[in-house]
Amino acid sequence: MSGSISEILSSVFAPSLWYAALRYSTPIMYAGLCAALTQQAGILNIGTEGIMLMGAFLAVVGGYFTGSWIIGILLAMAGGVLIAWFIAVGNLRYRANMPAICTAMNLLVLGLTRFLLETMFGTAGSFIDPKIPPIPKVHLAFLDNIPVLNEIFNNWSLTEWMVILFVVLLYILLYKTTWGLHMRSVGRMEQAAQTAGINVTAIKYQAILAGGALGGLAGAHLSLGYSTMFVENMTNNRGFMGIAAMWFGNANPLGTVAGAYIFGFFDSVGNRLQPFGFPSQFVLAMPYLITIIVLAVVLWAQKRQIKRKKSSLTGLPAGEPT
Amino acid sequence: MSDFAVEMKGIEKSFGSVHAVIDASFQLKRGEIHSLIGENGAGKSTMMKLLYGMYGIDNGEILVNGKPMTGLTPKVAIANGIGMVHQEFMLVNELTVLENVILGFEPKKGIIIDFHEARKQIQHYIEEYNMDVQINKRIDQISVGEAQRVEIIKVLSRGAETIILDEPTGVLTPQETRKLFDILYTLKAAGKSIIFISHKLNEVMEISDRITVMRQGRVIGTVNKEDTDPRELSKMMVGREVFLDIKRTKQEVGEPVLVVEDLWTSGEKELSKIRGISFDVKAGEIVGIAGVDGNGQSELVEAIAGLREVERGRVTLAGVDITNKSPKLIRETGLAHIPEDRNRMGLNRQASITDNIIITRLRKPPFAKGGLVLDEAAAQKTAEELVKEYDVRPPRAEALTSSLSGGNAQKVVVAREVTEVKKLLIASQPTRGIDIGAIESIRTILQRVKAQGIGVLLVSAELEEILSLSDRIVVLSEGRIAGTMPVEEANEENLGMLMLSGGRKEETAS
Repeated sequence: MSGSISEILSSVFAPSLWYAALRYSTPIMYAGLCAALTQQAGILNIGTEGIMLMGAFLAVVGGYFTGSWIIGILLAMAGGVLIAWFIAVGNLRYRANMPAICTAMNLLVLGLTRFLLETMFGTAGSFIDPKIPPIPKVHLAFLDNIPVLNEIFNNWSLTEWMVILFVVLLYILLYKTTWGLHMRSVGRMEQAAQTAGINVTAIKYQAILAGGALGGLAGAHLSLGYSTMFVENMTNNRGFMGIAAMWFGNANPLGTVAGAYIFGFFDSVGNRLQPFGFPSQFVLAMPYLITIIVLAVVLWAQKRQIKRKKSSLTGLPAGEPT
Repeated sequence: MSDFAVEMKGIEKSFGSVHAVIDASFQLKRGEIHSLIGENGAGKSTMMKLLYGMYGIDNGEILVNGKPMTGLTPKVAIANGIGMVHQEFMLVNELTVLENVILGFEPKKGIIIDFHEARKQIQHYIEEYNMDVQINKRIDQISVGEAQRVEIIKVLSRGAETIILDEPTGVLTPQETRKLFDILYTLKAAGKSIIFISHKLNEVMEISDRITVMRQGRVIGTVNKEDTDPRELSKMMVGREVFLDIKRTKQEVGEPVLVVEDLWTSGEKELSKIRGISFDVKAGEIVGIAGVDGNGQSELVEAIAGLREVERGRVTLAGVDITNKSPKLIRETGLAHIPEDRNRMGLNRQASITDNIIITRLRKPPFAKGGLVLDEAAAQKTAEELVKEYDVRPPRAEALTSSLSGGNAQKVVVAREVTEVKKLLIASQPTRGIDIGAIESIRTILQRVKAQGIGVLLVSAELEEILSLSDRIVVLSEGRIAGTMPVEEANEENLGMLMLSGGRKEETAS
């Protein structure tokens, strides 16, 4: 290792770390929101990974052939909805086991994108081309001369800003609208929803399909915003990390995004430690390690809280003998 | 307009090969309280679920206010003024009372729910029918009686003129039942028509204007309350006269087989946490645990059986400290356990009667050859003997337990546990949801077990069952002992008072 401790710290925890963390975590945030939406309807959607990968590929296709990143995003969202539709029909109409059909979809998309990459673009592994239009960055001119804020907030990709919009939107949808109330009731007690005259199956379809749109957007951001290319299996388990973020946030949109940011933060710290002699294998394993550790801690804390809540030794009125 | 709020004519409904409802007709006059009674499996709940559109009818006709209904779904039923309070509350625990009441019928501003308006609407019903509920609490924070009132408000707020209540008193204390009856009278005075499903004849005789009896999917008849009595009703229900008043046999009791000392254990709800209770069960006596459902009975039984952690205190079985020991070791020490939920804990429903009978003795002779290989012939033989002895129907040991009726499934559990019991038998809600014939035989079996000098801990929400079987009664309220008394001193009134006391009262006698 080289450099003194203080040198390392000031270099790692520079202001730009906050943006680096956001940049890394945004695709996971979108994936997490995709998983959170279906989770609210009581469905654990591990197809998030496949939905996202499909979105990433179609965004490049749409962008490359039309030159428009907007069409790229729209095509990606449509592709996400399509994969979600297969999952929904398989699970809801044909009663296929959810993890099984999701795994099947994840594998299918992995192979399909590889195949299409070769047939459409005649290339294997990755596809990089100047004709792929990136999602524009938002340049805030007034920040140009403010040192720290400029580093943190300037030149975000448009879809990075849009996360805020989606969190607010989802929060309102889930907690303030009838659709959200119906969805939350379906997710927690189907029969209650059914006897209230709510079409449970329809709500589940809507949740999975809407999740698909978000998952497609997650992919589009990955291939047009985070980078400007398509690489085989470029999601690289970000879909699953999104699910982990969803667990972290208990399917609450804000909590989910916060969970994803924590993963991103530690990953960025890891990346910045690499030049100081930390082994690269360790740094590469970092996001997954952090995900496991954070989830383990969160679940342990939840379990402990439940145990405390259920214990006969707590919650006694003051002054009562124990 | 028709005189009848509801008419059901020639209704047929089958589930697979089971004819749940056969050529059944039923008429509900406007503004009456009409009881629908019958044993479990008689088809009364099915009949009402058909009216509420939860299942489609195979044949027949349903008229609401003289208007024929086709393609009935809950939504259509609600739109036609029919509301149902289900036996299992249809409430989402994690949502607030307010959210539950408006679910599916939310007042809106655009696409946003108008919570202010919703609150106003609900307040109106709370005041008009004098029902106290706390609208901002979550369902898992309120009592069962209050949750039931939430269900009634929900139904009313959806414009119900006809209200179906499916076994509403099963989970209530006598006092809460009184409160419910007062609400029902108020509703009747306001012109609502009420269908009251029950199997408790005394309640039916009190609340009803008319009574319809069902048996084995058929309507046996409809009578005016004035023209009938409980004896005639039970005859109509069962098809013969029944004698549930089993003669309690008095006998010498022996040493304590179960000693519970200052037991503390976690609870699923605040009220069901066991907090510092002590009692014992002696050989050759039945100790009845009385209490409203959810006051710690399940937790107590689980703690004794090794299924829930004991946080403080001690449990001794036949002189052996079994506190926080494994269920296996506790069973070997002498415990047999008829759990409260036979489908979840008592049986493997996907397995045969034989498998369910031998499951607890797989590693013991005669079922295990050399401790490893299963002797299927021996298993078959034992199962067939028990099926015969306990009159399980159909008498086929290879039948899946999921194909049995509630009463027969329960007989399988009882047969297994009674055959194995050595020191103490815990019978938790042993007759819940089963027909009168099976109730009769299970109660007789518990008496027989006691006569063999085994201690029996009987947990039941049915006071009548506690009173007719127990030698001593322990009343549990909010996880504490509200009182202990010999059965001679107990009656429905003083037990009911103790059940509601919150466990603060000291023992009245011992």
